[in-house]
Amino acid sequence: MRFTKAIVPITLFVLLMSLAAPAQKRYGRAAKPRPVVSPIDTEALKGLLTQQRERPLLVNFWATFCDPCRDEFPDLVKIDKEYRPRSLDFVTVSLDDMTDIKTSVPQFLDSMKATMPAYILNVSDPEPAINLVDSRWQGDLPATFLYNEKGELVYKHIGRVNTAELRAAIEKVVSRN
Amino acid sequence: MKSRKLSILLASLFVIAGAVFAAGARAEGEVPAPPAIGSTIEDFTLPDVDNKDRSLKSLAGKNGTVLLFIAVQCPVSNAYNERMAKLAEDYQSKGIAVIGINSNVAEDAAAVKAHAAEHKLAFPILKDPGNKIADRLGASVTPEAYFIDANNKLLYHGRIDNARNAAQIETSDLRNALDAALGGKTIEKTEAKAFGCSIKRA
Repeated sequence: MRFTKAIVPITLFVLLMSLAAPAQKRYGRAAKPRPVVSPIDTEALKGLLTQQRERPLLVNFWATFCDPCRDEFPDLVKIDKEYRPRSLDFVTVSLDDMTDIKTSVPQFLDSMKATMPAYILNVSDPEPAINLVDSRWQGDLPATFLYNEKGELVYKHIGRVNTAELRAAIEKVVSRN
Repeated sequence: MKSRKLSILLASLFVIAGAVFAAGARAEGEVPAPPAIGSTIEDFTLPDVDNKDRSLKSLAGKNGTVLLFIAVQCPVSNAYNERMAKLAEDYQSKGIAVIGINSNVAEDAAAVKAHAAEHKLAFPILKDPGNKIADRLGASVTPEAYFIDANNKLLYHGRIDNARNAAQIETSDLRNALDAALGGKTIEKTEAKAFGCSIKRA
């Protein structure tokens, strides 16, 4: 009898919770859209790197499966927030699988509060894209390249970025104020 | 006596400076340059997943050997598990041996053994403590392949094929190199950039 008495409130509680949980999830999704990740092929990447521009450009190649990439990302987000108002353009290019375009890649960017334009390399063969960026780069991640407003490569780093070194390189190409 | 002390001091300074330089280079993620195509890979000995020492010589195939740097946790390397198992199976009868090398500091022999059993990787896999062989061969990612002939001459270095997704394979660079060598033909593409997860060095 005591058991029956206990089971009723427990069942009611579980029922209420199961109704409440999806509602909260739906609300969460509607309130905050995930970052948009755009596919980019070798030609479009070439265009991005060589187009006429008036601002310096920082490009970070990364992937969700790459530990040092995830490790350095908070520093890169800080750099973006700090230097974008000082005329730096910053884009990220993920080398994850295209099937991750709507899942792990935007999820990670969202968790990092990253707002820079985000791309995912959409190629069946990454070698031409890697060679286009830097023929000496083996494709190991992360890899970070800084171009001045004339499109000249002024800094590159393969591996986890040294934040102080990157900041110093950016300071040389961004506006002073 | 004074000059002897001075030379000891200078030698010590040189060693310290060398160590600092080496540490600095590693901290920046620099990987030693790989040997040139055509150079000879010296024999080496590494422990297998049962901690038994195995030399390259003892595992080599009579027509050549493929050294594959692989990982337990890397999704790119894992996307190649079936292809690597099939490669070893297909070329065993042709006298080419496949040897896996795991240089990741965080993946111990037990994890490598369990992973190989789970994914039916039947070829021998060696642990590379301190990434000595990865450094010697300039291996930077997983998966990354080296094909050497029966005299340990490096014939091919780089990726297995162009695509992580098996449905998108357009060029099977490693297989092309093996087939050319077996047929006595010139290997057209001796290097192709390997794409994958960086090797987690010690």
